Amino acid sequence: MTLDALATVLVSGLVMGSVYALMASGLSLVWSTLGIFNFAHGALMTLGAYLAWTLAGSGVLGLPPWIAMLVAVALVAAVGVLLERLLIRPFYGHRAMLLVTVMTTLAATVFLSKGIQLVWGPRLKELPALAPGNVSILGTSISAQEALIVGVAPIVLGALWAFLRFSSTGRGIRAVGQNPQAAQLIGIDVPRLFAIAFALAAALAALTGILIGSVRLVTPSLGDEPLIKALIIVIFGGLGSMAGTIWAAYLIGLAEALLVFTIGIYWAPSTLFLLLILVLVLRPQGLMGKVVR
Amino acid sequence: MIARLLSSRGPIVAILLLAVALALPFLSDSTYLRHLMILVFIYGIVAASWDVTLGYTGIFNFAHTAFFGLGVYATGLLAKLGGLDPWASMLLGSVLVAGIAALVAWPVVRLQGIYVVLVTFAFSQLALQFVISQSDLTGGTQGLVRIPTIQLPGYNFLRDYKLGYYYVGLALLGLSVLGLQILVRSDFGLSLRALRDNEDYARARGIPVARQRLKALVASAFVAGLAGGFYAVYLRVASPEVFSFATTSLILSMVLVGGVGTLWGPVLAAVVLTLGSEALANVRGLDEGRHMLVAVAMILALRFLPGGLISALLPRRGAPDRAARPTVQGPTTP
Repeated sequence: MTLDALATVLVSGLVMGSVYALMASGLSLVWSTLGIFNFAHGALMTLGAYLAWTLAGSGVLGLPPWIAMLVAVALVAAVGVLLERLLIRPFYGHRAMLLVTVMTTLAATVFLSKGIQLVWGPRLKELPALAPGNVSILGTSISAQEALIVGVAPIVLGALWAFLRFSSTGRGIRAVGQNPQAAQLIGIDVPRLFAIAFALAAALAALTGILIGSVRLVTPSLGDEPLIKALIIVIFGGLGSMAGTIWAAYLIGLAEALLVFTIGIYWAPSTLFLLLILVLVLRPQGLMGKVVR
Repeated sequence: MIARLLSSRGPIVAILLLAVALALPFLSDSTYLRHLMILVFIYGIVAASWDVTLGYTGIFNFAHTAFFGLGVYATGLLAKLGGLDPWASMLLGSVLVAGIAALVAWPVVRLQGIYVVLVTFAFSQLALQFVISQSDLTGGTQGLVRIPTIQLPGYNFLRDYKLGYYYVGLALLGLSVLGLQILVRSDFGLSLRALRDNEDYARARGIPVARQRLKALVASAFVAGLAGGFYAVYLRVASPEVFSFATTSLILSMVLVGGVGTLWGPVLAAVVLTLGSEALANVRGLDEGRHMLVAVAMILALRFLPGGLISALLPRRGAPDRAARPTVQGPTTP
């Protein structure tokens, strides 16, 4: 492999890894707080991208792209609160809460994606770029939009980390994740924090969707394929560990770029899956994860 | 075995339903109604066999629709490109699907809780991507068309307003449910339920956990593959749509609405949901909307009808029996 090719692989792996890290951190946040897996995460990504399209210049309202993005993220966060209220909260304390919520969030996925098709139709939409033009990294020319993704991901993830580490709400969320009963006993409003965590994850999903939509085109299935990648990532990283998940996201992004370069785009997903199976046979709790509860 | 089968009220209902199903083509020669009923038979088989892993064994198996879809493609490819007899293709296709299920099951049966969901789900989406990417073989997003149809000497299945398909479908449904019924009532089935209800105790009593789960997955995948094979030779097309979230949620809603941990419940729900969903497909503007309604039905069933339709229609005799009839549950709960 020449140096040029290596740089191309590295850069495209970094772009994909950043997208995956943003997405998987939302899944991991919901898992470690509520103890459920949100299958609607991909559909929330798609919803975010379409809302941003409608709000931004090329759509109906003609807001500047940055404002449109922020409003869309806020709207999807509100949808997240609604989903938590309707699909998760009724099943708190259910003896099979994990399985039931997998099913309800799966139903939400179908509801949202079919609803998106009804409202916006099957035609492709183009989101205006937040940062137009091209930049050159390591001798590889990529769009400024992709460079923006690589830059934004660590900032957002860092902010999320700081929020969970230092703010009282963030510490509450971690406390609830570790022991809901004890958290309740010391006066933490558990349902409120569950809703906040879910909304935060939905906001992360919307942001990821908008970033993906601005480098590719917005389609009703925008979130489907990244969701599958995110599944593989959270298995690799171990669901409960946010740091493990983020490392795994970048690792899988790079591995995928390398596989696409060497064996082509068709075989890369299957090879990744085989790798995953091998990892699971050797370490059932994920590469970096601890034993699940 | 026969005595045990007859001891519950299930067989009486089953025989009644069977009689209605057998007589239906004589009451109406509407091709459309027969077509819908054939879809009911197919979805009924898939839903009932899914319940063997999801309900009876408590494996969080979300690859079942993929096993069905792989059955569709395996049979289609064997019959069309392999030039095999379509009957043999159906059988060989299901055996292939069972083999694939064994491979997937190998890591899955050693995992716990959410990881089972994630791996089976990832598998089903990769099966979809694989089918789409190998477009030279599978027709990609366009699907596989002009699959040869089943034949009997001297009889053309395309004749008689689908009458032949109707009875083959009904026979497959009857045999599948009977086979699964025998399976879940056997000692093997008992060990599966023991695993589901108390894994540690079952293990302590010497039940090989991983092996029993693997067998259950393979058996239910075989039946789903058979349904897929019949779907292929009946509709004569295989489309990637069979792997979609929408198909998964339609069949899952049959299991949930019908009642987890029963075999006839999902079949009954297949009748209601297939007829309902297809009727709505003819309403203008509801082609996509009906999937949304199915999703809502699924959530409502989980929320308000945890035992499913069958618990509402067939009140069980004693309290202990009711306790033994599970709602949605699994081997481990967090």
